[in-house]
Amino acid sequence: MDNMIALAGISVLVGLLGSLTGLGGASILIPVLVLIGIPVKEAIASAMVTIIATSSGSAASYVRDRIVNVKLAMFLEMFTITGAIIGATITTIVAPVFLYFFFAAFLCTSFLKLRAKGDYKTVEQDRISKWLGLHGSYYDAYHRKQVDYRITNAVGGGLGMLAAGLAAGMLGIGAGAFKVTVQENILKIPPKVASTTSNFIIGMTALAGISVYLFSGLLNITLMAPMAAGATIGALIGGRLLNRMKDSHLRILFFLIVIYLIAQMLYKGILAL
Amino acid sequence: MKPELPADTESRMESAISYLMITGVIISLLLEISGMVLYFIQNGNLQISQTSGVFIHGKDFFSFIYQVLSGKNRNGAGITLITAGLIVLILTPFLRVVLSVIYFSSEKNMNYVWITLFVLVVITLSLSLH
Repeated sequence: MDNMIALAGISVLVGLLGSLTGLGGASILIPVLVLIGIPVKEAIASAMVTIIATSSGSAASYVRDRIVNVKLAMFLEMFTITGAIIGATITTIVAPVFLYFFFAAFLCTSFLKLRAKGDYKTVEQDRISKWLGLHGSYYDAYHRKQVDYRITNAVGGGLGMLAAGLAAGMLGIGAGAFKVTVQENILKIPPKVASTTSNFIIGMTALAGISVYLFSGLLNITLMAPMAAGATIGALIGGRLLNRMKDSHLRILFFLIVIYLIAQMLYKGILAL
Repeated sequence: MKPELPADTESRMESAISYLMITGVIISLLLEISGMVLYFIQNGNLQISQTSGVFIHGKDFFSFIYQVLSGKNRNGAGITLITAGLIVLILTPFLRVVLSVIYFSSEKNMNYVWITLFVLVVITLSLSLH
């Protein structure tokens, strides 16, 4: 288990799951690393390359197929990066224990909209979305139709992203699940656009922590090489699959991982009490 | 059938971003894989190691790149190649922001010039400080 080939194999799977759901995959990999005896801080630092690899590997396809809403991604990046940097700065002041519970509670809200399909077809566009031209459309290869959508509540979405960035900076994760939920529940965008746009953004959030990790000397080459290579391969595969998959199947995959993440957050929160 | 997309300016930017990202990702993947092969040849195994030689360390990301380019890291060719691959991987999303700023400036889309410039400044600062 402690060799690079095995870790690369696991990372392919993580990159694939991450690219399909919009999660960076670091939160799936970190417990695996800890299980094989890697110190937690080293695992968190080194797993950040998985987030960047998953993000860039799949973004190439998603942008080309025009599923990612690039303008929306850039608008949201402003908030999430600011949050990530504030989070990384205050992480020594505020106890993360509150954040674990907050994060778990917020992830639970992603279940609220389970049944509310097709919201995005009827939403009222707000003024900022209109001014910035944030609406979009993409061709859905599974449902074989062009999907046009508008965006609502851009300010609320921005604040949600700020919170996601804060969580990412404080807990050392990509907070992709948080970002997908903000986009689907607040901005009301279609699931595939939410997961691919989240994927596009998480790479940028992960960048914000690089120099801190480099300085700390926690980055292990024998962990990062197989994780980056594996996650890249998985994400390249995922990037070709997503648009051919059914929305509801992608949702089930997302919710399974979210349940796992909620359990993980609650566990960490209780341990930290 | 996929409908013919209009050759509008936005789709030109999307192709450019997509092209940049796939290039960065493929180069980094090749460097990482060849680095691991070299590492195997030099060390005779592919075990996850905790020896000090496998940890990379730098003051910040940009001075780390300089450090690697000037050959100050003497940890064997395998580790150097892997490190180069990781640098390319990390630079890819950074260059994506640079490209967006250039693109929106050339289009004179000022709202997005400010948005992308803000992201670029913040990310550059965070990469230069630790």
